[in-house]
Amino acid sequence: MDLQKINIKFFAADPVSIQPESFVEIFNTWIQASDGEYYDLADYSHVPAGPGILLVSHEANVSIDNGGNRWGLLYGRKRSADGSNGAKLRAAFATALDYCRRIEGEPALQGRFRFRGDEALVVINDRLLTPNTEESFSAIRPEIEALARALYAGTDFSIEREQDSRKRFGLHIKTAGSFDVTTLLKNLQGSVN
Amino acid sequence: MSESTQWKEIVGSRIPPDLGREIDIFETQIELRKQGKIDERVFAETRLRRGIYGQRYDNGHRHDGRKIQKLKLPSEGLTKGPETVWDAPGMMRIKIPFGGLNPEQMEVLADLSEEYADGISHVTTRQDIQYHFVHIEDTPSLMRRLAAVSITTREACGNAVRNVTACPLAGVCRDEVFDVTPYAKASSKFLLGHPDTQDFGRKFKLAFSGCAQHSCGLTSMHDLGAIAKTEVHDGVERRGFEFYVGGGLGAVPYKAQLFDNFLPEEELLPMAQSIARVFARLGEKRNRARARIKFLIANLGIEKFRQLVLEERQKLASDPGWTGYLAGIEGQGETPLKGGTALNGGARPEGFNAWYATNVYRQRQRGYSAATITLPLGDITADQLRALADVARRFIKDTIRTTVEQNILLRWVSETDLPELYSALKRIGLADPNAGTIVDVTACPGTDTCKLGIASSRGLAKELRRRLSEKSFELDQAVKNLRIKVSGCFNSCGQHHIADIGFYGISRNINGYTVPHFQVMLGGKFRDNAGAYGLAIGAVPSKRIPEVVTRVTDRYVAERQKGESFQDFIGRIGKKETKAMLDDLTQVPSHDVAPLFYSDWGDPREFTLNDMGVGECAGEVVSPAQFTLAASERELFEAQIWFDSGDLTKAVSAACGAMVRAAQALVKTQNYDVFEDEATIVAEFRQRFCDTQLFYDKYAGSTFADYLFKARDALQSVNSLEKGVALQRLQEAQLFIDAAHSCYNKLSATIVAAGAGVASSVEKHA
Repeated sequence: MDLQKINIKFFAADPVSIQPESFVEIFNTWIQASDGEYYDLADYSHVPAGPGILLVSHEANVSIDNGGNRWGLLYGRKRSADGSNGAKLRAAFATALDYCRRIEGEPALQGRFRFRGDEALVVINDRLLTPNTEESFSAIRPEIEALARALYAGTDFSIEREQDSRKRFGLHIKTAGSFDVTTLLKNLQGSVN
Repeated sequence: MSESTQWKEIVGSRIPPDLGREIDIFETQIELRKQGKIDERVFAETRLRRGIYGQRYDNGHRHDGRKIQKLKLPSEGLTKGPETVWDAPGMMRIKIPFGGLNPEQMEVLADLSEEYADGISHVTTRQDIQYHFVHIEDTPSLMRRLAAVSITTREACGNAVRNVTACPLAGVCRDEVFDVTPYAKASSKFLLGHPDTQDFGRKFKLAFSGCAQHSCGLTSMHDLGAIAKTEVHDGVERRGFEFYVGGGLGAVPYKAQLFDNFLPEEELLPMAQSIARVFARLGEKRNRARARIKFLIANLGIEKFRQLVLEERQKLASDPGWTGYLAGIEGQGETPLKGGTALNGGARPEGFNAWYATNVYRQRQRGYSAATITLPLGDITADQLRALADVARRFIKDTIRTTVEQNILLRWVSETDLPELYSALKRIGLADPNAGTIVDVTACPGTDTCKLGIASSRGLAKELRRRLSEKSFELDQAVKNLRIKVSGCFNSCGQHHIADIGFYGISRNINGYTVPHFQVMLGGKFRDNAGAYGLAIGAVPSKRIPEVVTRVTDRYVAERQKGESFQDFIGRIGKKETKAMLDDLTQVPSHDVAPLFYSDWGDPREFTLNDMGVGECAGEVVSPAQFTLAASERELFEAQIWFDSGDLTKAVSAACGAMVRAAQALVKTQNYDVFEDEATIVAEFRQRFCDTQLFYDKYAGSTFADYLFKARDALQSVNSLEKGVALQRLQEAQLFIDAAHSCYNKLSATIVAAGAGVASSVEKHA
């Protein structure tokens, strides 16, 4: 099974404090600093439990997303990537965490925005390559577990598959441990080195 | 195996063959464009006619508020149209004839919005669904998955017959004359891809209404509008239509004119076809700003236009498609899931009464209601759409419609179920009240995604919606009943002309700064099928538009006479007074004092017009001959694929077919109605182009034409082909097609030099 269009979401620690419109301004400053990396941004904050504020580029979208009525950062890869499934998952997690870290350090938010490190959502946005079935789960389980072990540095974790067969293949990874974004990123990088 | 091929295998058996073939052809055209074998203008119109539209910044540049950035697009010079970069995301418009949807279709739309777009399905002001940020190379898979649930994107854009719209209450309306749904459906089917609708200078829109007095069909603002009507002849009631032509909004709005006071139902399709033929033949092709049929009718006068159409009607050979659908029309009505029982005195959830007051319409069928799902700015998420499909299955059958007010209507709800329906909708965030009120602001995409957008229509609509929602409970009922519609520019996709309070985006230069403004339009009439267009009052800075709404509505409440409509009120106080009322709001503070005035709603960038691009609303003027030449290239490409796979017989047959197609392209320049059969095409080609030496190369003489005749003769012996001979046939076919292109270019140049305009304006109906 070839994993493509990997989406990773980390959830906001304090969703009540989120003002999605403020990300229109923040993402605009990112665009100004990007030299053509990002095409555009889209504001869907008026839609309940929707995609929130999206920053659009060729390879991937980044958004402050409210899917499932839970605010968080969603990194959604759109174009095909090379490498093993494990490498692609690791790269997607690293990029998502990097964006989380960037948001946490965003001056306009004055340190008020934090992400939960104890939970992540993986969605494969391709019903053809990765249908939402138990077979798909079995096929990629070893890579997901390897990734979770690295991410949570050996702390116990659980993986739960999205059960609605109409929805895309999705996995909730949860751990009882307490982690911040920087630690998760360090864990992930450490496991490679 | 590519993703596209795999989807073809998975859903192919569910796709109607003709639609499947269309998509295959388009996929080949994508490949040919990538190889540089289709001209970018031809490809642009080709994709537009399949619903694939350009999107803002697709020229590869974006102003970031400080400077113009060159976007990182890996296209390496490849374009999908003039100034339209291949890898730039685009918009996909999906036709939903008369707005009719079923739960399965909603689920597929939800899936596709996630996988190929940004997770949002957007309901347009013409009952379509649109996706944004779609990559061109994903479109064949997207189209196949739609086609598998009987949805097409064909002719959703471009110079073609667009989505056929109809009153969303058709069939359940208390005041309709009869249900127009089957007629809208039949028109949509009959005109889709019809040869007589392929050579328009601009788009062509149809709308149906079941009655004259309500707003739902908006027939007055359409190229062709049909209002249900019956007449009694010899004691027998006959169905027909009050038939209007030449309406349209845009920069120069026209109200449709009466073409026929009573057009019998059996004449609906032949008359539409006749009108299409006259429009294709005489409509403007060169000046895009005056190419809609409304200008043709204005130039000719309705009497002359009618005469030409009736003459055309006489010439048409009878087509069983004109009336075939009428036989089963009585049995086409919808059926409910449950029995019709009245809303009883049971418990009502919190918020139900407010929702019921604005979102529920009591059907003419006792015990049933239609419930409107209010969509903010017409947007719905994939999760919501899937959940709504579940809700629909629980309460109704396949009786769902999109509306021109960018909402979704669930019809045939048993009234007893309404409280439960409300609760179910509330759980998925779709139970907002205020459908069809001043809060339910309609807006086109504007600067969010449209290349022509000047100001942020969605940004303004969102702001107005937010403010009006907050005070909706205290609004005077007369104000609550008003409609606000916003367009990002004068083209009026937001239908600002027919709103009580309408706005369209413009800009003003203030002390060297470009400042976003909206032109204020007051007194348009949504009811009576878009019965009157509003009056332009003046330009107001974007950031002061909410004050305009407050001031105008407050004054209306304070000064209206008993029973006076908003239109009458505006008419009574007059333009001068109305303008004076808003005068102070037109002032723009200096940049130092109020920099926010210099950016638009929802967009922190300093305002600029630098991001405006070349619009694709007008499509590209590509003649039928050019399309046919492109088709010949595609057929030759397919021949090459057969050759590569070792099937020489099919390769040579396809190559020969490609040559015939190229010959047909040339014949079309003189005889638009040339038949499809090969013998006739070749005979006409010989007579019109070979005997006259129009198809004659200065050096090769008649050699290229001979390739065609020789290839057709040689088809008899294709079973014993050698590879070398087959390859030679393919090469000859390429030379013939190249020569056909040269011949066409030569003819076009001659016509232009003679001052006759673009080729297509003279190339038909000889």
